[in-house]
Amino acid sequence: MKTNNNTDKKYYKASFSQKLKEQKYLIAMSAPFVIWVLVFKYAPLVGWLMAFQDYKPAKGILGSKWVGLKHFITLFKEEQFYQALTNTLGMSILAIIFGTMCSITFAILLNEMRGVKYKRIVQTVSYLPHFVSWVVVANIVGQLLSPNGIVNELLVNAHLLKTPINFLAVPNMFWGVVTTSDIWKETGWNAIIYLAAITGIDMQLYEAAKVDGANRWQQIWNITLPSIRGTIIILLIMNIGGLVNIGFEKQYLLGNNIVAEKSLVLDKYILDYGIGMMRYSYGTAIGIFKSVVSIVLIWFANNLAKKTGEGQLI
Amino acid sequence: MKKMKFTAVLLSLVCVGSAFVGCGVDKSATSNNTGEAATETVAEAAPDADGFVGLADRTPVTLTLFEKDLTEDVEFTDPIAKKITELTGVTLKVEHAVGGDEQAIPLMIASGDYPDMIYAKGDTNKLIDAGAIIPLEDMIEEKGNNLKNLYGNMLQRLKFSQEDPSIYTVGCYGVSTALWKSDGVMQIQNAVLKDQGYPEIRTIDQYEAALQAYKDKYPQIEGQDTIGLCLMGSDWRWLITVGNVASAAAGIFDDGEWAINDDTGEAKYKYLDPNVKEYMKWLCHMNDIGLLDPESFTHQEDVYFAKLASGRVLGSATPDWGTNNAKQALISAGLEERTMAALNITVNKDIESQFSKDPGFSGGQGIAICESSENKDKAFEFLDWMASDEAQVLTNWGLEGQNYTVDENGKRVLTDEMKKQKVEDKDFVKKTGIGKYLYPFPQRGDGAIDSTGNYYSTNSPEQVEAEFTATEKETLAKYGKKLWVDFFPARESLPVSKHGQAWQFSIPSDGDLAIFNKKSEDYIKQSVTQAILGKPEDFDAAWDKILAALDAMGVQKANEQMTQYTKDTIEFWNN
Repeated sequence: MKTNNNTDKKYYKASFSQKLKEQKYLIAMSAPFVIWVLVFKYAPLVGWLMAFQDYKPAKGILGSKWVGLKHFITLFKEEQFYQALTNTLGMSILAIIFGTMCSITFAILLNEMRGVKYKRIVQTVSYLPHFVSWVVVANIVGQLLSPNGIVNELLVNAHLLKTPINFLAVPNMFWGVVTTSDIWKETGWNAIIYLAAITGIDMQLYEAAKVDGANRWQQIWNITLPSIRGTIIILLIMNIGGLVNIGFEKQYLLGNNIVAEKSLVLDKYILDYGIGMMRYSYGTAIGIFKSVVSIVLIWFANNLAKKTGEGQLI
Repeated sequence: MKKMKFTAVLLSLVCVGSAFVGCGVDKSATSNNTGEAATETVAEAAPDADGFVGLADRTPVTLTLFEKDLTEDVEFTDPIAKKITELTGVTLKVEHAVGGDEQAIPLMIASGDYPDMIYAKGDTNKLIDAGAIIPLEDMIEEKGNNLKNLYGNMLQRLKFSQEDPSIYTVGCYGVSTALWKSDGVMQIQNAVLKDQGYPEIRTIDQYEAALQAYKDKYPQIEGQDTIGLCLMGSDWRWLITVGNVASAAAGIFDDGEWAINDDTGEAKYKYLDPNVKEYMKWLCHMNDIGLLDPESFTHQEDVYFAKLASGRVLGSATPDWGTNNAKQALISAGLEERTMAALNITVNKDIESQFSKDPGFSGGQGIAICESSENKDKAFEFLDWMASDEAQVLTNWGLEGQNYTVDENGKRVLTDEMKKQKVEDKDFVKKTGIGKYLYPFPQRGDGAIDSTGNYYSTNSPEQVEAEFTATEKETLAKYGKKLWVDFFPARESLPVSKHGQAWQFSIPSDGDLAIFNKKSEDYIKQSVTQAILGKPEDFDAAWDKILAALDAMGVQKANEQMTQYTKDTIEFWNN
C-alpha cells in the first residue's frame, strides 16, 4: 500500500510538471486574462472596506474612521431602501418572465415561417430596436402614451376608454410601461439565441414525428421546446444572477416625479443617496448587499437547475 | 510549429500590452508650462492700441474649467475669447457634466481627476472636504488687487464659514444687484392681456379668470389646442417652475426650500406655510377644470420648450434662461404677441411679493482653483484679471468699434447691429461672446458704475427698455409702467437680506440636514404632484398626509438646524 501510494504521488507530481511543460503556451495565453480578472475584478474589492468606515476621500482608506456595521444598520432601517428593492426585484422579475416568454414564442414563430427571405427581413427588423438608445426610446414611448398620443386615440376611438389616460402619470402602471417597452426593444435580439438553438435540432426528429402523424403544434410542443430546454435554463440562471443589477437607465428616462415611488431602483438609490451625497461608505454598503443577494440567487437557481438535471452552470 | 509558438507568445504579449495602454495618463490636456510665471514680478505692461493692459506674462497656456450647471459646450473661439487669449495667454477649455449630472463632482472626487479651475456651485463644500481646492486669501492679499477692488468689503462674504474662514472661491454673482428685469415669476401671454382689455391681474384668481376667458374664446391657436398654464415638473425643474413659484406667490423670499425670517433668523421648511398650500390647492383646481396642462408633470424638457415656442401656451412660470429660446423663436416666427408678460401675482392681495428684495452679495459659490493644477498661479492671475475694469468692460460690452461705440456724451452704447442681433438671434451670445464670460466669473454686477461714469454691464434701465419688443412696450404702456419690475414693490422699500440666500449656504454634504433636504425634496416633488393631480375634494387630506410625513422625516429638527445656519451666517457676515 505504502509504496503504491508513493509511486502514485510521484507519478502525479511528474505528471503535473510535465503537464505544465506541455501546456506552457496555453498557460501563457491564458495568463493575461487571469491577470485581467485579478486586477480589474478582485483588486477593486479592497474598496469594500469603505463600507465599514466613515470614508472621506481626503483621508483615504487608511486614515478614515472605522465604524463597524453603522452603514448597514442605517440601510436596513431605511424605508426608501426597501421601496427601491421591491421595485428592482418587481421590474426584473417581470422582465425575465415576460421577456423570456416573448422571445421564445417569437423565435418559434419565426422558425415555423416558410419564406426564407421574408423570415430574414422580419428577423433583422425585429432586432433593430436593440440598437436604439434608451434616450430615444423613452421619447418615443412618451409620445405614444401621452394623453393625445396614438395609444389613447386608438383606445378612445375603439370605445375601450371614455377619457384618455396619462399612462406615464399612473404610479401603478409604471412597472408595466417599463416591462412593455423593454419587451418591444429586446424581444428580437433575445430571440436570436433561441433561434440558433432551434436550428441545431436534428431534422430527423421532425421527419419521424411527421411520419407518426404529429401536426405542427405537436411538433413544437414535443420536439422544439424540449430540445431547447437546456438553453432556456442556462439563460434563466444568468438572468436571475443579474436580477438586482438592472441599471436605472429605463426607470430614470421613463420616470417622472409622479411615479417616483415606483421607479426608484437600487442603482438610482445608490447614485442619489450614496455617491451623490458623498456618502461613499453608504453606497458601498448597498453595493455589498447587492453582490451578496446576486450570489445567493445564482446559487439558488443553479441548484434548482441541477434538480431538473439539465443545464446547470456551476 | 516554431512559427506557431512565436505567434502564441506574440499574441499574449499583445493582450497584456493592450491591457496596460488603458492605464496611461493623458497629460496632453494640461499644459506644459509649469507655473514658472508665478515667481516673476508683475511688471506694469504698456497699454496696446485699444487701451488694453492685460497680463505681463502672456505665455500661451490652456486652462481647464469645469462648470457644474453648464449643459452645452462652450467654444472658446469667439472674438472676445480671442481677445482674452491675446491679453492673458490663457485659452480656456470649458468642460461640463452631461445633462446636468448631479453626480459629476462626487465622481470627480472619487477618481481624483480634477481640472485646473472648477465651478462647483453647491458641491463646493465637498471639494473642500476632499482637499481638492486651495485657499486663495494669501494670493488675494499678495497680488489680487483687481479682486480686492471688485469685492471691497464684501471679501468677508467670500469666506467659507466661521470654523474655516478661508476664501476658496471668487464669487460668481454680481456684487451690485440692481433689479431691472423680472425673471422666474408667473407670466401670461401678451395676447391674452390685450384681448381682455388689460385687466388688473394681481391674484391667482384673477390670473385664472383671464386664462379661462381667453381659452373659451379661442380653443385653438395656430391650429393646435390652446394650453392654459404649462409647467415643467417632470424633473428637477419642478423646484423652479412649481416650488419656487408657489413660495413666491405666497410672499416668501427665494431661500430655496426654506422660508426664512430675516429679522430673527428663524427658518421654516416652506411647504409648512399655509399660503404655499393655498397655491398648490389652486393648481389642483386648475388641473381639475382643465386649465393646467396635464402633461406638465410628465413631458420632457424639449417637448415643454416646443410647446412654449408654438405660441399656444397662455401662462407659464419659467425663468428667462429656460424660455429665452422659445421667446426668440416666437419673435422670429412673427408671433410676437404670443410672448409672455411677467406680472406680480400672489395668492391673495394682502401678500407682499418679496421678488424685488435685494439678496445682497451672497459670496459662497464661485470658481475655485484645484490643488492638483500645475498652473495654480496662472489661474489665479487669470481670475484676478477677469475682475479688472478692462476685462469687465470687455466681457460685458465686447470690443469698442466692433460691438459698441462711445457717443459724444461719453456713454457706451451697443451698435445698432448688435442691438438687433441681441433681440432676434438666439445664437447672439454664442457668436459674439458678449455676456458669455460673465457668469460664473467675478462680476461687478448690474448697476455698478465705472470710472467713465458708465454702467459696467450692458443692462441699464434705458437699455432694458430699449430692448423691449413693440408688444411689450404696448402692454407696459397700458398698465402705465416703464419696466416689468415696476409691477413689484420697489427694491428700496424692502430691506437688504442679511443672510444672503439660504440655497447658497454651505451645508455638510453627508450630515442629517443634507439627508433631510434630499429626502424631503424627493418626497415633496412626488407627493405634492400627486395631490395636484388628484381631486380637489381630496386635496386637504392629501396635504395633511404630506405634513405628517414631513414630520416623520424630522422637519422640526431640520428647521432648528437651518435656523442655526442662518443665525451663524448673519453673525459671521455682519461682524
